[in-house]
Amino acid sequence: MKLNKTNLEKRLLKNKIFYETIKIFSYALLIPLALILFYIIKNGIAYLNLDFFIKMPAPVGETGGGALSAIIGSFLIVGLSGLIAIPLGMLIGVFLAEFKEHKINNLTRLAVETLQGIPSIIYGIVAYAWFVMPFGKFSGISASIALALMMLPMVAKATEESLKMIPYTLKEASYALGANYYTTIKKVILPSCQKGITSGVLIGISRILGETAPLLFTAFGNAFLNFNMAKPINALPLLIYNYASSPYQEWHQIAWASSLFLIIIVLGLSIISKNVIK
Amino acid sequence: MKIMINLTTHKKNQLFIKTLKGAGYLTLIILTLFLFTLIFNSFLSLKTISLSFLFNTNWQPNTGNFGAAPFIIGTLFTSILALLISIPFSLSISIYIGYFLKNKKRKNTLETLMDLLAGIPSVIYGFWGLMVLVPIIIKLQTTLGIIPYGVGILAASLILSLMIIPYSVTLGKDVINLVPTDLVEAAIGLGATPYEVIKHIAIPYSLSGLFAGHLMAFGRAISETMAVTMVIGNRNFIPKSIMDPANTLASVIANEFGEASAPLHISSLIELGLILLIITTIINIIGKIIVKAYTIET
Amino acid sequence: MTNETILSIEKLNISVKKNKIIKNLSLSFYKNKVTAIMGPSGCGKTTLIRSLNRMHDLDKSFKVKGNISFGNTNLLKADPILVRQQIGMVFQRPNPFPNMSIYENVLAGYILNGIKLSKEEKDNIVDINLKKVGLYDEVSDNIHRKGSHLSGGQQQRLCIARTLAMKPKVLLLDEPTSALDPKATTRIENLINELKNEVSIIMVTHNIEQASRVSDYTAFLYLGDLIEYDTTETIFTVPKDKRTEEYLSRKYG
Ligand SMILES: Nc1ncnc2c1ncn2[C@@H]1O[C@H](COP(=O)(O)OP(=O)(O)O)[C@@H](O)[C@H]1O
Ligand SMILES: [Mg+2]
Repeated sequence: MKLNKTNLEKRLLKNKIFYETIKIFSYALLIPLALILFYIIKNGIAYLNLDFFIKMPAPVGETGGGALSAIIGSFLIVGLSGLIAIPLGMLIGVFLAEFKEHKINNLTRLAVETLQGIPSIIYGIVAYAWFVMPFGKFSGISASIALALMMLPMVAKATEESLKMIPYTLKEASYALGANYYTTIKKVILPSCQKGITSGVLIGISRILGETAPLLFTAFGNAFLNFNMAKPINALPLLIYNYASSPYQEWHQIAWASSLFLIIIVLGLSIISKNVIK
Repeated sequence: MKIMINLTTHKKNQLFIKTLKGAGYLTLIILTLFLFTLIFNSFLSLKTISLSFLFNTNWQPNTGNFGAAPFIIGTLFTSILALLISIPFSLSISIYIGYFLKNKKRKNTLETLMDLLAGIPSVIYGFWGLMVLVPIIIKLQTTLGIIPYGVGILAASLILSLMIIPYSVTLGKDVINLVPTDLVEAAIGLGATPYEVIKHIAIPYSLSGLFAGHLMAFGRAISETMAVTMVIGNRNFIPKSIMDPANTLASVIANEFGEASAPLHISSLIELGLILLIITTIINIIGKIIVKAYTIET
Repeated sequence: MTNETILSIEKLNISVKKNKIIKNLSLSFYKNKVTAIMGPSGCGKTTLIRSLNRMHDLDKSFKVKGNISFGNTNLLKADPILVRQQIGMVFQRPNPFPNMSIYENVLAGYILNGIKLSKEEKDNIVDINLKKVGLYDEVSDNIHRKGSHLSGGQQQRLCIARTLAMKPKVLLLDEPTSALDPKATTRIENLINELKNEVSIIMVTHNIEQASRVSDYTAFLYLGDLIEYDTTETIFTVPKDKRTEEYLSRKYG
């Protein structure tokens, strides 16, 4: 064969180097991930015990204590956000998928996509302006609104995308049985989209559970146990942020444990949501 | 009886349709109110400081000096650096998954890796950065004989680069994967090695998609708040080197908004938010336009 | 008839997973002739022709065993890149590179293989090969524009030019006209006739008339077995096997 062998060897070598390089760069990211998880597990596991869930943070200088107020606060805030964002997001999603010809359909889609791209800190500012300034106090409700607004586009998009996958014949079949539009959507279409919507909701919840920036000037944090959503309230990400910047070893340990707990829930939710679709 | 039931369901039906349309309008109202709130609350700052806000390099709340320049520069500095650090990784993974591991099981490992990186809350990145990365940088700076701040642009960019890689890969691996088999086979049929196929065919073919992915990741870096706030050092000066502490638009808001009491201070911080929103929205729109053009083409 | 052999297949077996696609096939292709590979769809024509320039290397699930001699080398043992430079392939669907101009498309083999050429050499290669496929006059004004605005037939001829530019010894065509209209098909068939003086051509077709119009030899494949191989004239006038005869009278397609 007449072609230059040395040239070929050089090309094959180049190819080999290229392939190995991208492989190394790809797997190299396992290192920082492993380091992050390693430190969180190593430092968090010792304090992720029963006390963590049932005790309040210990005062400065004392060891032990838990994150009870933050755990309760997180669940209250995220729970209320879900109560607002899930039904409203689904309605918007159905509107986007079903009312294609409506004059504001495209505008609404644009609005949803714009909301989705807004930096999280800005949700905090807006919720502050809406609910903290007028009432003159930080509150769990204002935090829930901020997080609900963040979650809204995710639920709406997931609903719209799942609805788009439903074949038209299904709707026809429902109409043919004499069902009206409301019953068709409620009893036939939405149940068939259950997986897609559930997965979108779970992803949305796992996102807002870890959000911190929108809580800084809304929930604000609270050193005391509080169930009242009209008052300042603590949350896990807020606790991590506040304790991380504190100089106290004990607080760092609670922050590590909170990080571990938060990561388990957040990643757990996203794994569950992946498996829901399958 | 039967007619009665039909009438009630008919009413429910009408109400349902109205509710759906109402939800559509509500979305528009929310977004409008959202933007109005930002503009309205920036008004004081817009009026008193006007355009010089953008160019003033001084931010000293106690003397009433409010200039956005340190934060605009801090934001661009950290985000561009983060993007540059991330590119070798994001391109490698996109090519590795999209070209070499197309149908292989092994690609799950890397996709899970991306999911994990994307799923870790940013406050945890910040906490980890503060506890683990910053001490390492302090050691480095001590050896180099620089003031050992630890926190600063470098720490923020490193953490950010890790956080944004999954965003460019999501789109990147798909556009590489979408390069038609036809073209790949034609190139291989002409004697090209995989490297040559990627360099001459796959990358040129998917260039706009790769660009859009990285642009969106860049937008993500610009808007990231917590991780940056925790490791950037929160200093309101224009950073001169990657070792300097600084502040970004998002981090200065996170850092000062809770404590700000002077109306002009609050208003200026909200105007920073407005600037941040405008920059990220423009970036997102450009990215989406490219992606849309891309999906129509293929 | 004494013909010089260009490629010789011995005991070729190709399987995917447990599925045998080509079964113990032996066959010699002749130099400067057009050989048609014919058979009902799914019988393994594409699989066979792709083994001749090692395209199966791309898909690890394909197992190729046997011997394909080209001169005194076994193609299956040689470096696939050298094989592909000597044995060019044109695919079923026209696939010019959309990121390259017409000019660059003709030179694509050189660009991809990193072979440096002077401006004159490039112009020369482009001119000669565009003329060969009859595209020179049709595209000479837009030679630096992308190839994607060309018609399907023109695109396919551009792909042939791109392959010929590498000066291959053998040209493989896998149903090159199945995506084209009758007029474009005729042009390509005429082109094949002109090209056989400089290159040996192996063409897959499931168009019986096409095989009879352009080929000197015809191989008939059925369920992975080579049923019959002879001059096209013999195959079409006095087929020895009943299956060949039935296929030619379109009993199955
Ligand atoms: N990638 C593949 N994986 C599994 N089976 C394949 C693959 N490619 C082809 N086959 C099978 O091999 C047989 C021959 O295919 P092919 O060579 O494409 O036939 P032809 O070109 O004659 O229509 C078919 O039965 C087909 O299903
Ligand atoms: Mg075929």
